[in-house]
Amino acid sequence: MTNGQKQQLIRDRAAALLADGAVSCIVGWRQTRFAGKTAVCFVRAPEDATLLVWNEYTIPLTAKYLADERWTGGKAGILARGCDSKAINRLLRDNQLEREKLYIVGLPCEGKADERCRPCRQKTPLVYDELLWEEDSAADGGGTSAADADAPGRGRFFRADEVSALGIDARYDYWEDVYARCIRCYACRNACPVCSCRECYVDMHRAGFQSKRQNAADNRVFGVTRAFHVGDRCIECGECERVCPMGLPILGQTQKVIQTAEALAGAPYEAGLNAEDENFLGKFDLDDKDAFM
Amino acid sequence: MAVDFEPKILAFCCNWCTYTGADLAGQSRMKYPENVRVVRVPCSGRVNPQFILRAFRRGADGVLVCGCHPGDCHYATGNYFTRRRFMLMRELLEFNGVDPGRFHARWISGSEAAKFRDTVSEVTRTVKALGPNERFQEASGEES
Amino acid sequence: MDKNTKLIQKTALPDALAALLPDYRVFAPAGENERLAFTRIDAQNAFALCLSGTPLMPPKELLFPRSETLYGTDIKTGDVSLPQTAGPTAVFGVRPCDAHGIANLDCAFLEKGYVDSAYAARREALTLIVLACAQIPYETCFCDSMGGGPAGSEGADVLLTETEDGSALVAAFLTGKGRAVKALWAAAGLLSDTGADATTKSANPAKAPPPCNLRISKDKGLAAKIAAAFDDPMWARFSEACLGCGTCSFVCPTCYCFDLDSENRGGTAEEFRCWDCCMFSDYSRMAGGHNPRPTKKERLRNRYLHKLAYFDERYGRTLCVGCGRCIGKCPAGLDIAAVIEWGGTL
Repeated sequence: MTNGQKQQLIRDRAAALLADGAVSCIVGWRQTRFAGKTAVCFVRAPEDATLLVWNEYTIPLTAKYLADERWTGGKAGILARGCDSKAINRLLRDNQLEREKLYIVGLPCEGKADERCRPCRQKTPLVYDELLWEEDSAADGGGTSAADADAPGRGRFFRADEVSALGIDARYDYWEDVYARCIRCYACRNACPVCSCRECYVDMHRAGFQSKRQNAADNRVFGVTRAFHVGDRCIECGECERVCPMGLPILGQTQKVIQTAEALAGAPYEAGLNAEDENFLGKFDLDDKDAFM
Repeated sequence: MAVDFEPKILAFCCNWCTYTGADLAGQSRMKYPENVRVVRVPCSGRVNPQFILRAFRRGADGVLVCGCHPGDCHYATGNYFTRRRFMLMRELLEFNGVDPGRFHARWISGSEAAKFRDTVSEVTRTVKALGPNERFQEASGEES
Repeated sequence: MDKNTKLIQKTALPDALAALLPDYRVFAPAGENERLAFTRIDAQNAFALCLSGTPLMPPKELLFPRSETLYGTDIKTGDVSLPQTAGPTAVFGVRPCDAHGIANLDCAFLEKGYVDSAYAARREALTLIVLACAQIPYETCFCDSMGGGPAGSEGADVLLTETEDGSALVAAFLTGKGRAVKALWAAAGLLSDTGADATTKSANPAKAPPPCNLRISKDKGLAAKIAAAFDDPMWARFSEACLGCGTCSFVCPTCYCFDLDSENRGGTAEEFRCWDCCMFSDYSRMAGGHNPRPTKKERLRNRYLHKLAYFDERYGRTLCVGCGRCIGKCPAGLDIAAVIEWGGTL
C-alpha cells in the first residue's frame, strides 16, 4: 500500500469517527507550507479530515498533547504509530492519561525520513482500538535489520556508543561542545512524551537546583538531570534530539541510561511496552548489582 | 596541581547509620581527614542525583554518599533505591567525563566507625591524587 | 560618484577582516552547517568565512548576551565589582533582517527615557557591517514583507551588496562608524572605485536583491486590528500544537526579555541577568503563585501581540523583522507569518 492510499484511509476513518461522534477530535499531522515539514494538528470537523497527511515526514509525536494539563477535549481520537503507542503506555502507567478517554487509531509505520527512526523495533503499535492497515514486513523502511543492528554506529544505542568509544577526557569535551552550543530553550524537555511533570524543576529556580544562567556548565547540569529524570522511562522516539534547534546530538544521554539499566539488570529493558511495568528506578531487586560494599 | 591541594569532599550521610558511625569515630578519637563536609540526610534514599551535580557545579572536588547496609534500612527499603540510582548515576557521570574517582558510595553502619574513617581517608586520597575538579565548571568568562 | 561607495573584491575579504583586527574585536559568520555562528576572528585562527548562509543564532547576543554579570559583591568586604566592558567590536556579514532587528532592540533598550547602560555601552562600541542577501538564506525568510528587504540598510554602518557578476561587493559606508571602517580598508588598499558613472545613476554595479521565498501581505492596520482580536478563538487554534519551548524566542533577533537573579559564587554575590522567554510558565508567574497567563494560549498570544501590536503602539514599528528563524525551527510548525496574514483579514 502506498503512503497516498494510507493517507486516504486515515482521512476517511477520521471523518467517519468525527461524523458519528465517537471522538471529539482527531490528533494527527498536517502539511505546513514548507515541503518536508509536517506539524501536529487537531481536526474537529469531518470536513477538515482532508487536512490530515501521512508521509515520510509525519514525524512529530502525537501522544504528548493529550497529557496537556489543559486538555479538555473529551474523548480524543489519536493517530498512533509504534512510538506513539509506547508513549501512550508510559503516560497511562504514570496516570497522566485515562484509557477510556482515548480512541487509538493504530498506524503501522515503516520508519520516517530520520536516522533516529532506524533502530525502531516497534513498527506496529502496541496498544490500539483499531489498526488501519497491517504491517508490511517486506517494506524496507526505518526498522533495523538484524545485520544492520550489529554494524558499528547503527545499533539501538548508536549515539551512546559513539560517545562511549571516546576516552574520558574526550567524552567531557564532547559534551562541553554540545552544551556550549545549547540555548536552553527546553524544546527537548517539552517534546519528550514521558517528561510529564506539571512543574519542571528548572522552572523552580529559587530551589537552587538549576541556575538560569546560560553557560556550558549550567546547561550541562540540565542535560544530565534531564537524562536522569526521563532516561529510564525513555521510549526511544528520538524527539528530544529531533526538535533541538541547534542540532545537538543529545540522544546519547538517555540511551546511556537505558544501556546502563540493561547492564545492571542483566536483562533487556525497554520502556512503554505495556502500561503496567514500573520504570527501572521506581523499583529494585534484593540482589541488584552492588559496588558500594 | 598544587602540592598543597586540599580537596573539598561532600559526604551525604544517613542519619541512622553512617552519621552515627561518624559520631562514634569522633567519640573514639579516631583521626580522619578534615577535607570531608558531612551533610546529614534522613536516609541515603533522600539523596537526589541533582545534589551530586550541584555539588560538582558549586566547587566540590569529590562526593560521597553513605547509607545503611542493604537489608538494614531504617525505612526498610530506602537504600535499595539508593543502590540502583547511584549505580546508574556513577555510569552516567563517567559517560559525561567525570572521573569515577570523584564519586563514591559506601554502606557504613552505626558501629562501623573504623570503616567511616577508612572510607573518608581513601576517598580523600583518591580525590587528592586527581587534583582540583574543573569539570562542571565554566570553561571561561562569559561574553560581554 | 558617491565617495562613500566603493568596491571590494570578495577574495579580499579575509584581508578586510584582518585590517579591522588592530582596532576591533571582530566577529563574522564561520563554521559549517549547524555550527555556523558569529565567531570571534583573530589573527591566529584560520576560519572558513561563510557568505552563503547566516547563523541560526542572530548577532543580538553581542549586545544582549545570553547571560551577563551586572555586578558582584564580595561577601566579606562588601566591595562591589563591575564587569569590564569589551572595546570596539565589528561584526561582519550581518544580514539586513538582523541589523533591522538591532535597530528595533535599540528602541527597547535606549529610548523613551530609559537607557540600559550595559546595552548602551556595547551598542556604542558596535559597528555593523551588513551583507545584503545575494541568496536568500532560509526558505522561511519574509523580510521584504515586513518593511525591510534582502538589501535593506536599516541599522547598517556599512552595507555590502554583491555585484552583477558576483566577484565583488559594493560597499556603502553609511555612518561615521562605517567611514572608520572605510578608512582602515582604504589604508590597506582594499577599496577601488565602483566605476559607476556619476552622471547617470543607472550604472550602479550592485545586483538587485532576489525576493524572499515567503511572500505575505502585511496589512497597514495590522497592529490595531490584531490587538483588537485579543479574545478571538483563533488564538486557541494557533497555540494548539505549541509545545511551550523557548526556541522561537531564543532564535529571534528581536526578543529581548530577560530575568534578573543573584547567586553566591565562591565568596562573591553576583547579580546577573539572562535571557528569559514569555513562553515559559515561570515567566509571568507572580509571587504567591498566580499566573495571569496560565496556558500556552495566553503565552503565545502575548508573544505574537508583542511582536505585532504592543511594540508598534509604543515605538511605531513592528518588532518582527521577518527573518523566518522561528518558523523554520519551531518543532510544532507554528508560523508567525500565518498569524500576520490572519491579522490583516480581521
